[in-house]
Amino acid sequence: MSQPSVKVENVWVRFRPYIDRRPTLRRSLATFRHKETQLVEALKGVSFDVQKGEAFGVVGQNGAGKSTLLRVMARTLRPDEGRVVVRGRMSTLLQLGVGFNAQLSGSRNIYLGGLVAGLTKEQVDERYDEIVEYSELGEAIYRPMKTYSSGMFSRLAFAVAMHLDPEILLLDEVLAVGDEGFKQKSKATMHELLGRSGSIVYVSHAVKQLADFCDRAMWLKDGEVVAIGEAGAVVDEYRAFVQHRRKELRAQGLA
Amino acid sequence: MTTATSPTYYVRRFSEYMSELWRRKDFVWFLARGNIKARNASTVLGLAWWVLNPLLLGMVYFFIFGLIFPTQRDIAYLLSGIFVFHFSAQSMSGGANSIIGNSKLLVNIRFPRLILPIAFLLESTFGFLASLVVLYLIVIPFADVVPGPEIVLLLVALPLQIVFNLGLAAATARLAVPFRDITNFIPYLTRVWLYMSPIIWPLAMLEGVSETAQSLFRLNPMFPIIAVYRSALLGYPLAQADLVAMAAWCVAVGILGVSMFIKYEGKMVRYL
Repeated sequence: MSQPSVKVENVWVRFRPYIDRRPTLRRSLATFRHKETQLVEALKGVSFDVQKGEAFGVVGQNGAGKSTLLRVMARTLRPDEGRVVVRGRMSTLLQLGVGFNAQLSGSRNIYLGGLVAGLTKEQVDERYDEIVEYSELGEAIYRPMKTYSSGMFSRLAFAVAMHLDPEILLLDEVLAVGDEGFKQKSKATMHELLGRSGSIVYVSHAVKQLADFCDRAMWLKDGEVVAIGEAGAVVDEYRAFVQHRRKELRAQGLA
Repeated sequence: MTTATSPTYYVRRFSEYMSELWRRKDFVWFLARGNIKARNASTVLGLAWWVLNPLLLGMVYFFIFGLIFPTQRDIAYLLSGIFVFHFSAQSMSGGANSIIGNSKLLVNIRFPRLILPIAFLLESTFGFLASLVVLYLIVIPFADVVPGPEIVLLLVALPLQIVFNLGLAAATARLAVPFRDITNFIPYLTRVWLYMSPIIWPLAMLEGVSETAQSLFRLNPMFPIIAVYRSALLGYPLAQADLVAMAAWCVAVGILGVSMFIKYEGKMVRYL
C-alpha cells in the first residue's frame, strides 16, 4: 500500500483562555501568579490520513476547529501534542490574496506569491506566461491589484497556487472561484492534480459541492472527529445533524 | 521532535535555518522592493521622500538643538549622529511591525519568519544610504567637511550595524508579538536612548561628570557605533577600542536577537 500524503496523528491544540484578548504583560503575570491554566481546546486528538490521488473534505460548524486543523496541516501552527507528517510539496489557499500586495500590479504579485510559496525567481519566470494565461486577466495583469474585482483577485490567486506544482493542495472555501466558466476550469485543473496522484484537502460550508467533489470526508465537531468515510455519507449525516439542531433550537425558542 | 538540546544541536539548527534563508533570498529582495514600490506609488512625492525624510529629520533636530536650545552647533556632528541613530532605532518598531502587520501571511504560509524583519532591514538600509547622501549635501557646503579616504571604513561599519539592527529587530519582534504593550513603550525607550547618546550634546560634556558616570554612559552601544561612523564619514580620529567595542556589541546583539527569534518562531502564530 502506498504511503498517505498527509498523516495527522492524535493532534491536540490548546489555546489560552480569552483567545480574542492578547496576553499582555499584566495578564501573563496574573496567570503566572494564580497558575490559571484554563485552556480552550481547539483540536482534541484528531487523527486521519489523506491518501494519494484523493480529495478529502472537512465539514463542521463554525468553531469546530476546521481552520485550526488547516493551519496545523500547513505547519504554521505547531500542535501541543501529536504530529503531522506531510509527504510532498504543499500549496495552500487558505485565505485569498495572502502574500499579495494590493498596491502592486498583478504581474509583480505573481512573483511575490510564487516566492512566498518557496519558488525561486527563475522558477517563477518559467511559469509566468502560463499563470497570466490561466488567470484570463489579459491587460489587467499590469494594473494594481487594488483595482481588481474579487473574482479577478481569486482567479489570480488560484492560478498562482496551481502553478506551484503542488502535490498536496489545502483549500478553504475557494472552490467558488470566479464566474461559471472559470469554475469549470478550476475544477478540471484540480481533477488533473488528483489524476497525477496529488491530494486535495478541502474545507467548506457548501456541503453539497463538497460531497460532489470529494472522495472521502471528515466531520469535525468541537475539535473531535465525529465521522470519517465516504463523502456523501458523511455529509448526509452532518446535514441531518444540522437540521435536527435547527429544529431543536426553534423548539426552544418557541417554548 | 528531537529531544537533543546539546550546543551542537542548536548550532546545526541555526546553520540549517540560515541556509534556508539564503535559499529564499529572492523572496527577501522582492518583498523589500515591493514595499518600496508600494510606498512610492501611494505618496504624491514618491521617490523624493528618500531625500526628504532624512532632510526633514535633520532640520528638525538642527532647529531645536542647534538654534533654539543650542547644545550642539556642529551640524556635521549632529546630523551624522542622528542618521546613524535613527537607522538603529527604527529597526525596533519596524521589526515588530513586520511580524504583527503580516499576520495573515504568517498564519497561512510556512517560511522562515526572519525573512520579514530582514526585508524591512533591507528597505531601511536604502533609506540610511540616502540619508548619508543628504548628510554630505548639507555638510560639504555648510560645514566644510569633505569625505576622505576614511570612508572605506563604511565597508566595515555598515555590515556591523546591519547585524546589530537585525538583532534589535528580531528581539523586539520576539517580545512584541506576545506582549503588544511593548510597541507602546518603544517610542519612549527610543527617546531616552537618543538623549543618552552623544548626538545632541558634545562629547566634551562628558568630561564634566564623574569617572563612574562616564563609564556607565559608555556602556551604551551607540557610543562606539557613532564614533566609528564619525571617523568614516567626517574623518574624526579613529580609536581602535571603539571599533572593537562596536564589533563586539553588534555581533552579540545580532546573535542574541536572532536566536531569541528563531526559538520562538513555532509559537508565533498563536498570538497573531
